[in-house]
Amino acid sequence: MEELQDASIHHMTAKVISAIKNTKCYEPLFKELQRLVCNPAVDTHDMRNTLEDAIKGAGLETEIRNIVYNLVRSRLTRPDEKTQASKQNTKPTVSDPLGYLKRAGVLWDRRVRKSLNAMCTELKVPLHGQPRISADREDFMAKWNELSNYNMDLANYRPVYAPKDLLEVLLSLKGPAKTTEPTDHIPLWEFSHIALPVKNLFELRAHYADLLRSDSYLGVPDLTIQCQRILEARHAPMCQQFLKKGCTPAPYRGALWASVLDSKLHDYDIEYWQKLRNSVWTTDHIVDKLVFKDIQLTASNDDQYFVFEDVLYQVLLCFSRDTDIGGCVEYEAFPVKGKTYEGPPSGVVPFHGICMFAAPFCYLYDSPVNLYYTFRAFYIRYCHRLTTINTHPQGIVSLCLLFEKLLQTYEPQLWSHFRELQIQPLRVVFKWLMRAFSGHLPPDQLLILWDLILGFDSLEILPLFAIIILSFRKESIMQVASLDSIEAILADLSSIKVLPLVQLALSRD
Amino acid sequence: MSVVWADGGPWRLDSLQPTLRPISSVCRMFGRQAGGANPPTVSSTATGAANSGGASGGQGHDKLKIGFCTDLDKSVLVNNFEKRGWHQVNGDDDWHFYWAGVQTCRNIFSVDSGYRMHDNQMINHFPNHYELSRKDLLVKNIKRYRKDLERDGNPLAEKTESNNSSGTRYLYLDFVPTTFVLPADYNMFVEEYRKFPLSTWIMKPCGKSQGAGIFLINKLSKLKKWSREAKGPFHPQIAKESYVISRYIDNPLLIGGKKFDLRLYVLVASFRPLKAYLFKQGFCRFCTVKYDTSVTELDNMYVHLTNVSVQKHGGEYNTLHGGKWSVQNLALYLEGTRGKEVTDRLFGAISWLIVHSLRAVAPVMASDRHCFECYGYDIIIDNALKPWLVEVNASPSLTSTTVNDRILKYKLIDNILSVVLPPDGVPDVRWNKVPSADALGNFELLIDEELAAQEEQHQNSTNAHNKASKMGSRWK
Repeated sequence: MEELQDASIHHMTAKVISAIKNTKCYEPLFKELQRLVCNPAVDTHDMRNTLEDAIKGAGLETEIRNIVYNLVRSRLTRPDEKTQASKQNTKPTVSDPLGYLKRAGVLWDRRVRKSLNAMCTELKVPLHGQPRISADREDFMAKWNELSNYNMDLANYRPVYAPKDLLEVLLSLKGPAKTTEPTDHIPLWEFSHIALPVKNLFELRAHYADLLRSDSYLGVPDLTIQCQRILEARHAPMCQQFLKKGCTPAPYRGALWASVLDSKLHDYDIEYWQKLRNSVWTTDHIVDKLVFKDIQLTASNDDQYFVFEDVLYQVLLCFSRDTDIGGCVEYEAFPVKGKTYEGPPSGVVPFHGICMFAAPFCYLYDSPVNLYYTFRAFYIRYCHRLTTINTHPQGIVSLCLLFEKLLQTYEPQLWSHFRELQIQPLRVVFKWLMRAFSGHLPPDQLLILWDLILGFDSLEILPLFAIIILSFRKESIMQVASLDSIEAILADLSSIKVLPLVQLALSRD
Repeated sequence: MSVVWADGGPWRLDSLQPTLRPISSVCRMFGRQAGGANPPTVSSTATGAANSGGASGGQGHDKLKIGFCTDLDKSVLVNNFEKRGWHQVNGDDDWHFYWAGVQTCRNIFSVDSGYRMHDNQMINHFPNHYELSRKDLLVKNIKRYRKDLERDGNPLAEKTESNNSSGTRYLYLDFVPTTFVLPADYNMFVEEYRKFPLSTWIMKPCGKSQGAGIFLINKLSKLKKWSREAKGPFHPQIAKESYVISRYIDNPLLIGGKKFDLRLYVLVASFRPLKAYLFKQGFCRFCTVKYDTSVTELDNMYVHLTNVSVQKHGGEYNTLHGGKWSVQNLALYLEGTRGKEVTDRLFGAISWLIVHSLRAVAPVMASDRHCFECYGYDIIIDNALKPWLVEVNASPSLTSTTVNDRILKYKLIDNILSVVLPPDGVPDVRWNKVPSADALGNFELLIDEELAAQEEQHQNSTNAHNKASKMGSRWK
């Protein structure tokens, strides 16, 4: 047994080491290590101990620990999935109960890219972009800090897709029919037939147990001092733990998030940001128009975010050029015949409201480059799962399923009310889920909700919170009988306070 | 907690007022320092007094039907009055509550009119509000207030070396930009101008509002040219008018590269003793164009003036948000990007500025017990996060530019009424003007000199533990 454990640790170590070597931080880390080895304190006779001390002394140990923490959390789990996927590729796919879902994911992604390609053809612009003519380039560079004044004709551009489109696809998902039940008993609009495992309230309570604890860390009752000490220690897992409280002092949120998402700036990050910016300046890409269009349709009109319009242009334009993103996000792999289409450099086709994922970060960071990396990391880890069809336990499909099951179990009255009205409850909350409530909750509350996403490293808070809101306004919903009226009741969330409501829902018997 | 859950949501309010959104009851502006939205301790101790005072004052008019009168046909006003079951009457009839324009108010109080208000009447202006709202008089009153304090050796009037005005400046009372009245103070202005020949100045007609007649100058020759033209035959109206010229705040705090100012609402229920309240839901008004100090943009008022009445005519004006951003969001942004300490200091300085501007005019105000007034304070924050008082408006706009604006102004009027009216809702000058904590709504107490004095007395007599009300002692 011990031998096995030993082997598995060795196996893991080997994986971590090879993964570290592939990260951008490896080179500076290695150089720093070389510098430390030359340190007179490192004794060639007792290399192991003296070097270890030197590493600790220079604060390099924390940095390495954080890198490992982050790799284990994100990238290391992926190659496994990929090998699994490739194994499945060779097997006949009928046996995979989630095959149809994976297939839908691939088809959805293909459909989105196809639309983008069709738009290119229609407007006679190349998908790969074209060099900006010099006058345009100069204009663009001059207006980089005030892109709201950069004029272009966007009349022919429209968002490639909106939450509504994804919802329609999700609602039309059909799994293999269960033979044991007569099909006419399964309403067409229920998700319950999807064989994805989701938590029940009991399991959610266990997952979010820390939210109900009132003990203070480090023996200091003052949150600000706790926060300062945690940030000084630079341990990413401690930062994550702190966010679970849901009462992060605003001045420290930016640093805590960057620490948890491993998006603290390095020199190479700044260089890369400049590279992305140059790419935006020199090439004219169809996604630029879509980005402009999206910001103009959403953030520019939003009384919580309009002041940040110009920052958002910069961030989303650079995002569209970032080829690193394609390598980090997870797409469903499933063999589906037919033509494949190319996407934009980042692989992410802008959709209606994509800028609302970046907008809340404007309250955290003053500089676009700081904002960019934390937003990008957040997008890769969370937002991407909300906008694609996937089998991930925190993907939009699982979240929809979780929402329906919770509603059915804990608000049966509402469930049957919706059912009587022939309204799919998902229709009412889908835009909240897909945008992670951005643009729906006021910024101060939204940031608390996102603290909880990061702290508990889970998007499951979204359907849970959606249920809480429905439950909170249940009395009013029960009194109306149309989708419009229900939407009117739920339109304004400005009086909703995240933390007390979530705590109450979790502690309720 | 169960209250939060059991309540069917603030939604029910919506169903009555389809276009209105309930405003969150928990606000995070100035109340932040005191720990959330808890009203200052003073008001809770005074609640008993308020009730008894109201009861005695309310005697005998159980069946009184309240007649209101308004010069402004604004739905935010009329809806609020009607919600309280009041009926509209004419100015000549027997009214109890008059939302008047300043001219009407002047007429009512003028000696010639011979009108005498009875105990159950209230009006929304003080007779000589212009001591605060006229740009020249405001500056005159503040200058006098500082001199008086200085003469009395009050530590508030302490001065310090300055780098941007004439030698020294007040350490605690330096909250209006250096200002002169033209033509009266022309020579003083020229003297000041010569000390800082590179500075920009802003010219404003004393009696106009909404950005009318404002322009910037950065050369003395431009002012001379203007003065010559004004004396000419084509502009007889300018010649008669006096102007103020102020040092232009050319280093405003920019957010998203744009300039903004704050519009805060301050309710004064009485000047002697001073009783003032700050509405927690003020907003920032943004310019639509990037801020640019270059000389070529000096005449572009879309860059420099934040007035909605000016910005509305710009091509970039957005009708969905109207360039308005809540003060709560400003605080969230500043805390997140600059830190809590500086943010708290800024908002503390804003309260300080308001209280001292009111104290500066209190001695000259005719503090009639029938009157209350809601002022629109315009404040600019510079890039060192120091607030500057630009001007005070005695009739802040009640026109709603957006849906949220409408909700805010409806709530403002509702809260004003509940603060200035006795608990039974009938105007009564004999009431002690101590609203209960609930009646404050989104207002928070800035200062109540009467309560502060009582508190002090109470403390002296009982020698109770040092539970001094923050509000009471802060402005000493």
